[in-house]
Amino acid sequence: MAVDRREAALPTAPPAVGAGAAEDSSAGAPIAQASLWRDAWYRYIRNRAAVGAAIIFILMVLYCLIVPGFWKIPGIWTSLKDYDPDAVDFSQAYAGFSLDHPLSTDKFGRDLFARTAVGGQISIAIGFTATLFILAIGVFYGSIAGFIGGKLDNAMMRFLDALYGLPYLPFAIITLAIIGTQNFLAMTIALTVASWFTTSRIVRGQIITLKENDYVRAARAVGARWYRILVRHLLPNTLGVLIIAIFLELPNVVLGEAFLSFIGLGINPPTASWGSMAQDGRDAYRLHPEVLFIPSLAIALLVMCANFIADGLRDALDPRTRETS
Amino acid sequence: MTTFIIRRVVWTIPVILLVILMTFLMMRQIKGNPFRHTERNVPEAIQKNLERKFHLDRPWYVQYAYYVKGVFTFDLGPSMAQRTRTVNDIVRDGFPRSLKLGLLAYLWAIFLGVPAGILAALRPNSIFDYGAMLFSSIGFALPSFFVATLLIYYVAVKAGLVPTNGWPEGFWQLDKRIILPSFALGLFPMAYFARLVRGAMLETMQQDYVRTAKAKGLRYRRVIGLHVLRNSLIPAVTATAPLLGLIITGTFVIEFIFSIPGIGRYFINSVSNRDYSVVMGITVLTSIIIVTANLFVDIMYGVLDPRTREAR
Repeated sequence: MAVDRREAALPTAPPAVGAGAAEDSSAGAPIAQASLWRDAWYRYIRNRAAVGAAIIFILMVLYCLIVPGFWKIPGIWTSLKDYDPDAVDFSQAYAGFSLDHPLSTDKFGRDLFARTAVGGQISIAIGFTATLFILAIGVFYGSIAGFIGGKLDNAMMRFLDALYGLPYLPFAIITLAIIGTQNFLAMTIALTVASWFTTSRIVRGQIITLKENDYVRAARAVGARWYRILVRHLLPNTLGVLIIAIFLELPNVVLGEAFLSFIGLGINPPTASWGSMAQDGRDAYRLHPEVLFIPSLAIALLVMCANFIADGLRDALDPRTRETS
Repeated sequence: MTTFIIRRVVWTIPVILLVILMTFLMMRQIKGNPFRHTERNVPEAIQKNLERKFHLDRPWYVQYAYYVKGVFTFDLGPSMAQRTRTVNDIVRDGFPRSLKLGLLAYLWAIFLGVPAGILAALRPNSIFDYGAMLFSSIGFALPSFFVATLLIYYVAVKAGLVPTNGWPEGFWQLDKRIILPSFALGLFPMAYFARLVRGAMLETMQQDYVRTAKAKGLRYRRVIGLHVLRNSLIPAVTATAPLLGLIITGTFVIEFIFSIPGIGRYFINSVSNRDYSVVMGITVLTSIIIVTANLFVDIMYGVLDPRTREAR
C-alpha cells in the first residue's frame, strides 16, 4: 500500500550513494564521506523550496515542543495565559480568534493554540517513532534479502509481494484490534506493521546495487568477513536513501494516524492528536469550521513540508535525477 | 508472451492464499469470539453444536482450509452481529457503491490529472507548470477528510449547490450527489497522475529517439503524440495498481464522511461492533482486488514494454 508515492519518488534502481566518492580513495575514508555530505548539503541549500520547507518543518516541531510549556512559566508571554491544553472552560467555548486564544477554542473552551501543539507532539511523535521502526525493519529485512540473495532473497521478496496485497488501512485497523488498545504505542505498531514493506524493498535494491561495486569485491578479496562488508561498506552507503525514506514515510504515517483517529479507531478524543482534534471539530464544522480546519491544515502543512524535504534530499543526494526534475 | 501471462496468473494463486492466510492468522489473534464460554449460560450441547457448525472445534489449518474454500466459492460466512445477514449480503450491498465511488474518483484523476501533467510538461517552468505542480503538492498533502469537509462546507452548505450527503442507489445512476465524494477521493490520484505524467514526459522528451523524430522534421504534434505521450503514459498505467490501495483507503474515510453505505463504512461499523467475519471478509475481498489489479498491471506492462517480461 501507499507504495506508489514512495517508490515513484525514488529512482528505480537506487544509485550507489557515495560509491563514486568512495572509489577515489579507500572505501569509507572520512574525507571522501565528508565531501559527499558537504556536496549534498550545498546542493540542498540551493533548492529554495526545500530549504523553505525544512524551515517551516523545524518551526512546526519547535512550536509543538515549546508552546505547551509556556503556560507553566509565569512572566513569559503573559498574554498567552492559561495555556493548559486540557483546561476546560465552558464560558470560553468557541471564543473565536483573539489575543488570548490566537487559534480560538473548541467546544469545551480548550485553547486550540496549546492543544494543536500538544496534538502535534503526539502526531509527530507517532510519525517519527513509526518511521524509525519502519526503517529498522526495512534495514534488517532488506539487507538480509539483498546481501544473502539467491533463493532466500527470492522467497523474501515474494512474501513482500503478497503483503503488498493487503490493504493499508484495514491492515492497520486489524492490528489495532489485536493489540486491543488505541494508545500511542499501539498506533505506532499498527502503522508500522501496515507500511514497512516499501523501505525493505528500497534497502534491498540499494544493497544489491552496492554489492556489485569494485570496492566490495576488493574488500572481499583482501579477506573481509561478510559482517564487515555489510556493516562497513554496504550499510553506510544506504544512509542516503534511508534519510530520504524518513521523509517519504513520515507523511504516510502522519496521514494514517489522522485517518484512523478521524474515523474513531485511533487516538481517542480526550487525548489530543491532530486526527482526534479533527474528529472533535467535525461535530460542529458548520458553525465553527476553524476547529476542524486548524488541525487539518497543520497536518497538510507538515505533510507538504516533508514531501518537499524528501524531494530536496533526493535531488541533493542523488545528482543523477536533477536534470529531469 | 503467453507463457509470461500464464506464469503471472499462476503465481497469483499462492499470493492470494498467503494473503488470506495472513488475514486469517491475524483475525485469530483478536481476543474474543462470539461462541466463547461466558457467564451466559449456554447448554453444553448447544455450545458443541455451534462450534461444530462453524468448525471451531477443528484445528486452525482446517478452519483455514474451510475459509479458503468459502472464499473461492463466494461464501464468506455469516455476519456475527447482524443475525439475518451474511457477509455476502453486506458485500453485495456495499461493494457496488464503493466500486462506483472509486471508479468516479479515477475518472477525475484521468480527465484532470493526466492532462494537467501533460500541459505542465509541454511548458516547463511556465506559470501553468508552477500552478499545476502547486496544485499537485497541495493535493498530496491535504488529508482527504479535510478536503471532503471543506467541500461540504463551501459547496454544499454555504453555496447550496449540491446536497451534503446521500448517494444515488443504482450503479449507473448518476446525479449531482456524486460530485463531491468522488472529487474528494479523486484529488490525491489527480495530484499523483499530474506529477507522474509530467516527470515521465520531461524524461521522455530528452530521449534520443525524440530528438531524431524532431530532426527528421516531424511536426511537433506528431512528435508529442506518437513518441512522447505513448512512452510517458506507461508509468501512469503501472501506477494504477498501487493507487488502487490508496483509493480503497480513501473510500473508508470518504464513505464515513458522506454517509455512503459502501464496504468501507460497513468495515468501520463492523470493527466497532466486533463483527469479525465482516471485517475479515472485506479485508480478504479488498486484498484479492489489489492482487488482481497488480496482475493486470503487470500483464499490461509486459504488453506495453516487452523488456519487463524477461525480468519476471
